[in-house]
Formats: sequence, structure tokens, C-alpha cells
Amino acid sequence: MTAARTLVAARDLGVHFRLDRHRVLKAVDGISLEVRAGETFGIIGESGSGKTTLGRALVCLEKPSAGQVLHDGADPFALSGRALRQHRRNYQVVFQDPNAALDPRMTILRSVREPLDVAGTLPRAERQALALQMMERVGLSRDFAARYPHELSGGQKQRVCIARVLTLRPSVIVCDEAVAALDVSIQADILNLLAELQREFGLTYIFITHNLGVVAHVSDRIAVMYLGRLVEMGTAEALLARPLHPYTDALLSSEPVALPSHMRPAQRVVLGGELPSPVSPPSGCRFRTRCRFAQDLCAAREPEWREVEPGHWAACHFAGALPATSAGHGTAYTPVPTEALS
Amino acid sequence: MSTTFDRAASKAAASPGAVRRPSAMRRILAWLRSDLRAAVSLAYLLLLFSLVLFAGAIAPQSPVAQSMDMLAPPDATHWLGTDDLGRDVFSRLVHGAPMTLYASFLAVCVGSLIGLPVGILAGYLGGWVDTLTGRIIDALLSFPSIVLAIAVTGALGIGLTNSMIAVGIVFSPGLARLIRVQTIVVKNELYVDAARSFGMSPLHLVWRHILPNAIQPFIVQVTLLLATALLAEASLSFLGLGVQPPQPSWGQMLARAYGYMEISPEQMYAPGLAILFTALAFNALGESLRAALDPTRRRSD
Amino acid sequence: MSKRQALLLGSRLLQVIPVIILATLAIFGLLQLVPGDPAAVIAGEYATAERIDTIRHMLGLDRPLLEQYAVWLGHAAQGDLSTSLITGEPVLDEVLRRLPNTLLITVLALLLAILGGVPLGILAATHVDRPLDRAVTSIASLGVAVPNFWLGMILVGFFALRMGWFPTTGAAPLTQDPLRALSHAALPALALATGGIAEITRQLRSALIEVLSSQYVRTLHAKGLSRTRILWQHGLKNVSLTLLTVVGLVFNRALGATVAIEAVFAIPGTGSLVVASATNKDFPVVQGVVFVLVLIVIGLNLLIDLLYSLLDPRVNRR
Repeated sequence: MTAARTLVAARDLGVHFRLDRHRVLKAVDGISLEVRAGETFGIIGESGSGKTTLGRALVCLEKPSAGQVLHDGADPFALSGRALRQHRRNYQVVFQDPNAALDPRMTILRSVREPLDVAGTLPRAERQALALQMMERVGLSRDFAARYPHELSGGQKQRVCIARVLTLRPSVIVCDEAVAALDVSIQADILNLLAELQREFGLTYIFITHNLGVVAHVSDRIAVMYLGRLVEMGTAEALLARPLHPYTDALLSSEPVALPSHMRPAQRVVLGGELPSPVSPPSGCRFRTRCRFAQDLCAAREPEWREVEPGHWAACHFAGALPATSAGHGTAYTPVPTEALS
Repeated sequence: MSTTFDRAASKAAASPGAVRRPSAMRRILAWLRSDLRAAVSLAYLLLLFSLVLFAGAIAPQSPVAQSMDMLAPPDATHWLGTDDLGRDVFSRLVHGAPMTLYASFLAVCVGSLIGLPVGILAGYLGGWVDTLTGRIIDALLSFPSIVLAIAVTGALGIGLTNSMIAVGIVFSPGLARLIRVQTIVVKNELYVDAARSFGMSPLHLVWRHILPNAIQPFIVQVTLLLATALLAEASLSFLGLGVQPPQPSWGQMLARAYGYMEISPEQMYAPGLAILFTALAFNALGESLRAALDPTRRRSD
Repeated sequence: MSKRQALLLGSRLLQVIPVIILATLAIFGLLQLVPGDPAAVIAGEYATAERIDTIRHMLGLDRPLLEQYAVWLGHAAQGDLSTSLITGEPVLDEVLRRLPNTLLITVLALLLAILGGVPLGILAATHVDRPLDRAVTSIASLGVAVPNFWLGMILVGFFALRMGWFPTTGAAPLTQDPLRALSHAALPALALATGGIAEITRQLRSALIEVLSSQYVRTLHAKGLSRTRILWQHGLKNVSLTLLTVVGLVFNRALGATVAIEAVFAIPGTGSLVVASATNKDFPVVQGVVFVLVLIVIGLNLLIDLLYSLLDPRVNRR
């Protein structure tokens, strides 16, 4: 079996924003990961963890301040303006707010057709046809073509954004909280749509969310992000069944479980406190201020990002040695491996 | 798999409130119907415009022909009487309208031609370009406007076109600042990011997304500036720096009338009222536009 | 003054310097706008080539541009604004002689604008959308559209010529004969003030409406605070900052608008000086007058900025 190739990789990636003369916000601070062709790579974190910035950096919407982003092994920012513009068509984003992602002055059809218009390789009639085709593929009838964004519901607008992105037949799509702004019932529809499209077009997804239930449901591999850094990364099954990092453990146990009370795990980890300011993170391990296992070592030294088990990484001095309250709790979220469905 | 597809499709087809957006013409008419002030102002301005073509037909008397019948009160031949050189006041008024309109539009065009690109560049590029432009704008805005216009007119040479170009130059910093703010707002919108990810070049971005979405307050301001330009032209012509005799101009007419105020005070009223009404019309139009385009009133049309 | 306020003052002053430099560049650049050869234009139609050369040398137009600018700036900083091409007199003297007349009308107009605009604005805001508000708003719209020199003419025609209450033309020195000076300045200031009254009324009205309809004020109202108390304590305090900004704007505009007013009332002020010198292509005078006026405007804006930062605690915090 040939190993799937790495389509998107981050090497010690850092994205910094200068707030004023004295303060720098390191939204992404030293992240390394690899996304392989055909998989769904989930990134989970609280708001403020930097996950949106990471997603944007992976598709060249933010310039790396440190480290690199690699597309199929090459640095896209090494390309000149025109070449870069052509290259990035292959790496797309579906944003969280479908309303803000559509130009309110453009009809739906024009919005969906826009990527093709920009590419300019096909004659107009063909672009039109392709756009309509994509709209139908995502479940929007032709009636929608002449309408404006403000006439559509949230779910419909998100479908438009998905159709728009698909016209380019990209290899990688970053779904940045793509369903977070939608009603729960619609969320399922959109997730199903995304799953179908992945199979049909052979897409690779990077799925960014704060919702553990969602990410567990769709991802092959998951990375957990905290305050600009990764704290754990591994396959979905491994992460859910045997979380190595206390933060992952806490996230898992705080998810509402649809089980009668006597069947729920006895202990719930309460994640106390608030996310520290990303401008001045805690010394040593960043999570130590909210970690119930914090020791002096945690304040003194930053934990190393190491492969604790094959394919399962964590950054904790005590990874693997801590009792996980949610161990076995992962059965509530049995992720469906994509192979099982075909 | 097919069930999810159908569910979505049928939902899409049955969505409520799916009204096609009415054409631009229809929307303009609806706006005019709802706003009496705007309609009246627009009608008046269109009338003035038509004078460009029909001045001769409406006021057959020559505006420059002098006669011995000086400072005559209004009568059958001279509806508004004559001025100090025996020229028909009504005719001068009517023939002066195109000049006045031309002047206002020239000033506003010059202001936009300079201000729009500068503002967009500053807003889009940011950084030192923006800072430098901001400082230049601050500097130019510290000049009392008419004084700067007069100074520039002095340099360029007096006359209507030059003085209106000067006024346009005076307008440009304010306009640049306005469009700059809007550009920055739109630049940070998500759909601009989306367009960028499709590989849109910056120029294309500005043209297709930023300009259409940033332009509204600019248009409102430009309409209001028409009134300001009009008053500026009147002032400059009054001072002898604008329209040169014997061309009729409302401001100039006022200047002459002032000299004969003690003898024939009514001379002042016609041109003054004309200026007032036209400025009011421009202002009313601009204010109506602003109210109509106000995004906080957005309802699905 | 606390250390922070001193620092703020210092930084504001520092920020003003590039603006002044750029303004001087613009003023200097005016000469460059002249189509063709400035020296020839100044010399007039029938000048000989010799005369043109003399003028060129006299004005230093044969030197490199940057040097010209540096020399001009250096002189200006010392108060030497060169001499008039027509009268040969130092420009600064002429300007300073006329400035008080202009400033008198402008300041008077500003006061009238505040005295008229503030009550009208409050009146309109407290009776929003009712007949009184509509009347005030209409008057304000009128005030913005009326050519103020025309209004001046009408005022002269009626109050000066017909009623004889005010002198028709000229000005009198304030320091020597204040009453006469004021009677000369009254009508011009009134004409000048209409635009200002309208502007202040509008801005005050909209700012006050916003404050009065805010959640904060509505809570106060619900708590039982009387309407007048709310108005004075909270409404006006919040609005005084807007007022400050508008005052700066109105002053700037008024200073420019005096040009036409001075022509109507035959007042020997800076406005009429600028017009005369522009018509006669007496460029040193034009530049000199504009320079002084710009300094006044920048100075006033700086003052307003400082007052603003002193009054608004939020602006201070960085």
C-alpha cells in the first residue's frame, strides 16, 4: 500500500500579529503537522486558540512570520505574484460566516461563477454551465441563480460557498467552522453534503472547529490546539479512546453525553478558569494554569512535542502517565472511518 | 445518500420570500415616489439641465445684447427687467444656468478624479503610503477652502474652468479620506478574502468588489458637494475670479446688482434665489440619497 | 500638568510639524502651478525679456527648486514673508494690519453660530420628528444652501441702507473704538454665521439624539431622573466633544468665507487681500496670506485636539 502523499504541511509555523509598539500576538506559535491526500484532518480548539489563523495560513491567506507552510512539498510563498495566484486556486476555504463570505451585490450565480471568471480559461457559456451544475450538485435549484445573498437562509448560503469553492476542483479545502453558524438540524445536512463531495471529488479536508462532537464525527486524524500550539495529535480513534493530554481529556469529558446519568462516567473534568491572554502566555506549559495535574516542572520547562505512541503525538511532561477520566468514554462518539462507508 | 440530496433540493425549492430583485430603474422610481423632496429636486435639476439645450427657446432675448433701457423694472418683453447695461435679466439668468451646472460638475469631477484613486490606494495599500497620504490630506484640509481655491486660481489664471479646477482640487482631500475609510472597511470583509483565495489580482479585486461596495457614501458626498461647488462658483464669480464678462453667471450678476443696490434692489433677488434653489435641490437630493442608501434600513426589496 | 499630559502635548506638537511642512510645500508649490513661465506671467503681457529676467532673478526663480523652497521656508520661519510685487511693502506687515478685521468678524460669527446653533440643536433634538424639529431642520437646510454673501447684500440693503442701524461698509479698529468696530462687524458676522448656525444645529441635533436614545439614558429615565436633568448632566456632557469638533470645522470654513463677505462690506481684511493679489498675480502676497491663515487654522485645530484629549479620558489611554 502506498503511503498517501502529504498535500499540506506546516513546519514550525508561526503567525504573528503586531498589536502596537510593544505587543505581539503570536496566534500560531510553532506548529508542525502534515495533512495527507484524501483524509479529513480535524483541528480542534477553543476560540482564541489560533485555529482560524492556522487554517488561513495553510491556504496562504496569512503570511508565515516564522517557519513554513508547504504545499505538496514546496513553499508557495516562494512563487511570484501571478504564479502564487494560480497556485492557490487549488487550496480553498469555506468560511464560518457564509453571509460575510458572499458579496452582497452579486447574484448567487455570479458568486459561484466567480472563481471560473477569474481563472478565465473557459468560455463564458461553459463557465455558466459549470456553475449551475455545481449549484445543483450542492442541492440548490436553478431558481437560486438570480437571487441575492440576503434572500437565502444560512444553510443555503453555505451551500453556495461550497459550490463556489468546488468549481475550482481544489485538492484541499479548509472548513473553518463551516457549520458553527448554522442551525443544528442544518449542520447535519451540510456535513453529509461535505462527506459526499469528498468521496465524489477525492477532496482532502482540514476541518477546523471548537465542537468536539462534530470533529470526532468527521475526522480521520485530529490535532488539538491550545493558545497557538498543538497539544495532541493522532488518529480519531486513538485520541478519543486514549487521550494523552489533560486538555484533550477535559474537552472530551465536558461534552454533553446522551446517556442516562447512571451510565455516564463518574468523574467530569471541569475546565476551570479562562483562556490566558495569547499575548503573554504562561511560562513553561501553556496549559498549566488550568491543568489539574500541574507540577513545578510544568511552569519551569515547556513540554516537548513527542511521538508518545506510533502516530500519536502529545506535548505534556506526563503524557501517557495520567489517568484519563474519559477513557472508554470515546464509545459515545464512534468515528466512522471513511473506508467503512464505501 | 440520495435521500439527503433530495431533502436538500426540495427544501431549496420551497424556500419562502424568494422574490426577484427589481431592476435598477424600478427601484429608482420607487424611491422617487416615496420621497417627494427628492422627486421635486430631481425634476428641478433636470429642468435646469434641459436649459443647456433649450435656453435659446425659453429665453429668446440675447443675454449679452445691451440696450438703452437700463435697470428697467419687469414688463412684457423683459420678464425680470434689465440690468445696468440694459441686458435682459431673465435671459441672463436662463443662459447662465448651463454655465453654473457645468461649473459644479467640473469641480466635482476634478475632485473625484483626484480623490477616488488616491483614497483607494491609501486604504488598500495601507502602511507608509496610507500614513503619508493621510498627512498630505491633513495639510491640505488646514487651508480654508475658498482661500486655497483663490490661490490656485490665481496661479492657474482666472476664468471659470481654472477656478472650478481649483475648487475640485480643494474637494479632493475630503473625498479621498472618505473613500479611504470605506476601502479599509470593505478590504477586511470576508468576501474579499474569498476572492483573493480564488487568485484574483489586486486590481481586479478593487474593481469588482471593493469599489462597488465602498462607493455609496462617496456618491452621497459627491451629490452634496455639487451644492458646495455651486456656492463656490457663485462666490468666485462674484469676486471676479470665475466667469468672465460678458458671459452670464449668477454670481457675476449678483456682483453687478450689488453695485446698483440703492437704485434697484430687486436686481439681487433673481440670481440669489436661483443659486439658493439650486443649492437646495442638490442638497435635498444628496440627503435623500443618503437616507435611501442607508444600510441600517436594509430590508429585502 | 501631569507627566502624561505633557507627553501627550509633546506628541501632538510633534505630529503637527509634518503637517505644517507639507502645508508649506503646498503653498510653495502654488507658484509651480502657473502655466508657462511664472516670471513672464508676473511681468505681464508687454514686458521685455530683460524685465522678465530681472523678475526671475529677484524672485530667485532661476535657482534649483529645493533651494528656493529652503530659502523661502527659512525666511518664513523668521517672519519674513517677502515683499509685494506691486506695492513693494513687506507682506507680513500688510497681513498683520488686516488680520484683526478678519478675525473680528470670524470670531464674532463663531460666537453667533454657537449662540444660535446650540439652543436650536437642543430644541430640535428634544422634540424629535415633531413640527418644531421639522421647522428647525428645514431652517438649517436653508442655512447651508444660502450664499452668505447674498445674505450679506440683503442685510446691507435692509438694515444699513434702509434702516440705517448699521454702517454699510468698512471696519474700525477694535482696540481703539470697540463699539464702532462691533457695529461695523455686526452685519458681516451675521451673514457669515448663517452657515455656522446651520451646521452646529445639525450636528448637535444628531449627536444629542443619539445620546438621548441610547440604552444608558433610557435606563436613567426609567430610574426617574427628570428629562431636563438628563439633558444637562449626560446629554450635553457627551455632546460637548462633538461641539468642539464642529466648532473647529465652522471656524475653518468661516475663515475662508470671509473672502466674499469682505467684498460685500468693503472690509479691509485678509480675504480682500487674497482676492486682489490673486487677480493681480502678486504671488508673494498670496503665499504670505495663505501661510498665515493656515498657521491660524492648524493652531486652532491643535488647541481643539488638546482640549478634546483633556475632556475625553478615553482618548488619553493608549
